[in-house]
Amino acid sequence: MPGVTLKDLSKRYGDVGAVNGLSLTVEPGELVALLGPSGCGKTTTLRLVAGFLTPEAGEIWVGDRCLSSATSVVAPERRRMAMIFQSYALWPHMTVAHNVAYGLRFKRGLARADREHRVREMLRVVQLAGYEARYPGELSGGQQQRVAVARALVVEPEILLLDEPLSNLDANLREEMRFEIRRLHEAFAITTLYVTHDQAEAMVISDRIAVLDHGRVAQVGTADEVFLRPRTRFVAEFIGRTNLVEGVAESADTLVHGPLRLRVGGGLAPGARAAVSIRPHDIGLAPAGGARASAGHNALAGTIKRASFLGESVDYQVELPGGLTLRVAAPAGRRLLVGAAVELTIDPAVCVPVGEEPR
Amino acid sequence: MRIDRSLPVWIGAALALAFLMALPLGWLAWVSVSREGGGTTLAHYRAVLGDPALSKALWNTLVLAFWVGLVSIAIGAPLAWLTARTDLPGKGLLRALVMASFVTPPFLGAFAWVMLAGPNAGLLNTLWRAWTGAERGLVNIFTMPGLVFVVAIYTFPYVYIMIANTLALIASDLEEAAAIHGAGRLTVALTVTFPMVLPAVVSGFILAVLQALALFGSPAILALPAGFHTITTQIWSFFQYPPKVEQAAAFSLPLLLATALLLLVQKRLLGRRGYAAVGGKGGQRRTIPLGLWRWPALAACLLVMACAIFLPYGILAKAAFSRAWAQPLTWSNTTLANFTFTFFEYGATRAAIVNTLELGLLTASVGAVLVALLAYVSNRRLILGHQVVSFLALAPIVIPGVVLAVALFIAYTRPPFVLYGTLAILFVAYLTKEMPTGYAQSDATFRGIPPDLEDAGRILGAGRLRILRDVTAPLARSGIIAAWCFIFIGVIRELSASIILFTPNTKVMSVVIFDLKEEGQFGAIAVLGLVMLALTFATVAVMQGLLGRDVLGARE
Repeated sequence: MPGVTLKDLSKRYGDVGAVNGLSLTVEPGELVALLGPSGCGKTTTLRLVAGFLTPEAGEIWVGDRCLSSATSVVAPERRRMAMIFQSYALWPHMTVAHNVAYGLRFKRGLARADREHRVREMLRVVQLAGYEARYPGELSGGQQQRVAVARALVVEPEILLLDEPLSNLDANLREEMRFEIRRLHEAFAITTLYVTHDQAEAMVISDRIAVLDHGRVAQVGTADEVFLRPRTRFVAEFIGRTNLVEGVAESADTLVHGPLRLRVGGGLAPGARAAVSIRPHDIGLAPAGGARASAGHNALAGTIKRASFLGESVDYQVELPGGLTLRVAAPAGRRLLVGAAVELTIDPAVCVPVGEEPR
Repeated sequence: MRIDRSLPVWIGAALALAFLMALPLGWLAWVSVSREGGGTTLAHYRAVLGDPALSKALWNTLVLAFWVGLVSIAIGAPLAWLTARTDLPGKGLLRALVMASFVTPPFLGAFAWVMLAGPNAGLLNTLWRAWTGAERGLVNIFTMPGLVFVVAIYTFPYVYIMIANTLALIASDLEEAAAIHGAGRLTVALTVTFPMVLPAVVSGFILAVLQALALFGSPAILALPAGFHTITTQIWSFFQYPPKVEQAAAFSLPLLLATALLLLVQKRLLGRRGYAAVGGKGGQRRTIPLGLWRWPALAACLLVMACAIFLPYGILAKAAFSRAWAQPLTWSNTTLANFTFTFFEYGATRAAIVNTLELGLLTASVGAVLVALLAYVSNRRLILGHQVVSFLALAPIVIPGVVLAVALFIAYTRPPFVLYGTLAILFVAYLTKEMPTGYAQSDATFRGIPPDLEDAGRILGAGRLRILRDVTAPLARSGIIAAWCFIFIGVIRELSASIILFTPNTKVMSVVIFDLKEEGQFGAIAVLGLVMLALTFATVAVMQGLLGRDVLGARE
């Protein structure tokens, strides 16, 4: 089972660079999610890997085969890949069984009986046994999705590509299918690239997440890593909600913003402008005078400007001296009122320095 | 890099197209400025533009086209609104009748109206005299207003289609949004509905004007006896002995430029129409109750249809079955002699029918395959310059049939390609002329097949040609057959190019009908006309079955 390596890939549409020098390594058997907002180049990257597009620069390697470079591109049909499309791309004029069996026609030395057996077996795996003779138009969205999955997996591809496969499903089904896809990945362990704009989906499904921004990888890591240690401002803001505090680094572990001095986990360049990300739920909140900050934690006085009840938690906006406003997510148990004086406690370890995004 | 084996197919199709277009038009432009014995000159342009008779023809054409545009709107716009938005009874029937008017060969309509409203023997005038005892007839079709009328009743469907399709895109909630903000019915119509439909009205007007500019048959039948020319009849008369090809070329180019310019304007207008479709999805279109006005409205619609369909078809049928078409249809006046005369006695007919069918089948088959390839190339962006392919395939729409014929005449009467006098030159003419219609149909077909469906097969191991066979072709089949039908219908009714390119051995049905007019054989004209209509409607029926919707929706 080979892995995939993308080296300095670039692809432009007219004057717009969709992918700008993107590099990424996917280990054999690994599932990596390409996550980013629309227009970040994730789908273009996937189509480059599939061979539907030719890169202007860079290379795509699968194992020791170079599949794409600016000068030569292996046709999609010779890449031993499979792909699941956002639209499912089921052929409306073929039955479920014919759809699923199609890729097997191009496997040499496969007897008809073998083929039929594998189709039946795969339909059983995706829980569609008995639907062989139906046409795609006669299936529900979730069932169509399963046919698309079966059609891709039955050929036992070296690489599996998924392009927002769940975005056409309703919310409940989407959540169910996330676990289903993860289960299938664990069963088949195919090297997989998974494009999505939904961070929760990426977190549930993938081994690692590559966050894409302007056609580059802004950060690649496990869900924990990109959430807890975002490397750039873009990653911090795109994955979950966050507070960004900008200022000047006084030392490696102190950031100054107006009258505020914030102790952070370290890693700042002294004297330079810097920004740190603090997640709303990492901030402790108590009525003024009621907080007991642990030694070394930041303790900041502020006033509640707005409080929104969200069910499981309350979302507060707290204004600090100097005008900075932080969002704080506190448990819904005890409610503080707008205008109340409060004290915030922040562990320096949750103040994560973030760099500027590469341009 | 392995060369895609399918590439030569695409490039071949694109080259065939460029050749079809470039050679004749190049010759046309060249001949219009070439001097006898070498060199270039503007003498031909000076000759045609300086001649007062020709200027008069030019003026007549402008008058005709302008009024046809206006009358088409006056008929097409209310009809579109009534059938799209109100509870008018018989909407389905009316749509079918509009479609019938759309596919009726205009020159047949013109013949029919000669029999209906000719100043002396015209049926309406005879009846009028009989009823009122008046000396003079009621109407004379051999006049400019008569010509405008006859052209407009077969041209208004262009306006109708544009407006009906636009109205279908405007959801009622846009109008209701205005109403909830306090606008009265009239205000809503004036401030919301009308501005949204306006681009469609203007572009329908332009299409109607274009039709009128390019038309040869009706002016030849109605204007020539009335003693005036239009551009197209004038160009045709340049080809009467002794032929003045250079002047025809010089007279053709201004017409070509005018049509090109008009289409450019129309394209601009439609390009900005995008807003009409915004939110069109899911919007309900509520019908407006007409109340008691339903019946007068229906009567008005039926009156229009009587002029376009009932009366002309009726008089054609009558003429086909009677000894003397102007006499009442009594038992003694009823005969099948016209049929025996047409099919067995008149020399040219059977050969012409065979020629027409042969050309129709051949052009439709070659054309359908060619436009399918071209539409596929441009939709899937298979070769560099695929936009040029699309442009070239649609370009012949600006070439009036007569102009195309002049260009082909020039290009194929000299080496290296001497086709004049053969059916091949008619084939090339029809193929070029019908290309835009067929291409538009094919383009819509391939646009309806998402590329994902092909990509899904390729990534599973199928090559492009294999995917074409397994996925694309089955999905595109009915759309391609529809394109075939469009081309076939266009070919069997073609007159304006045929009238210049035919030779005694290569006559087609429309040309024979035109010849029969010279001999005053109205019975035989009616018989051939009915044959042509039968062929047309049979093809339309096939197409409707295939597309599962009526044909009007497909023509944008």
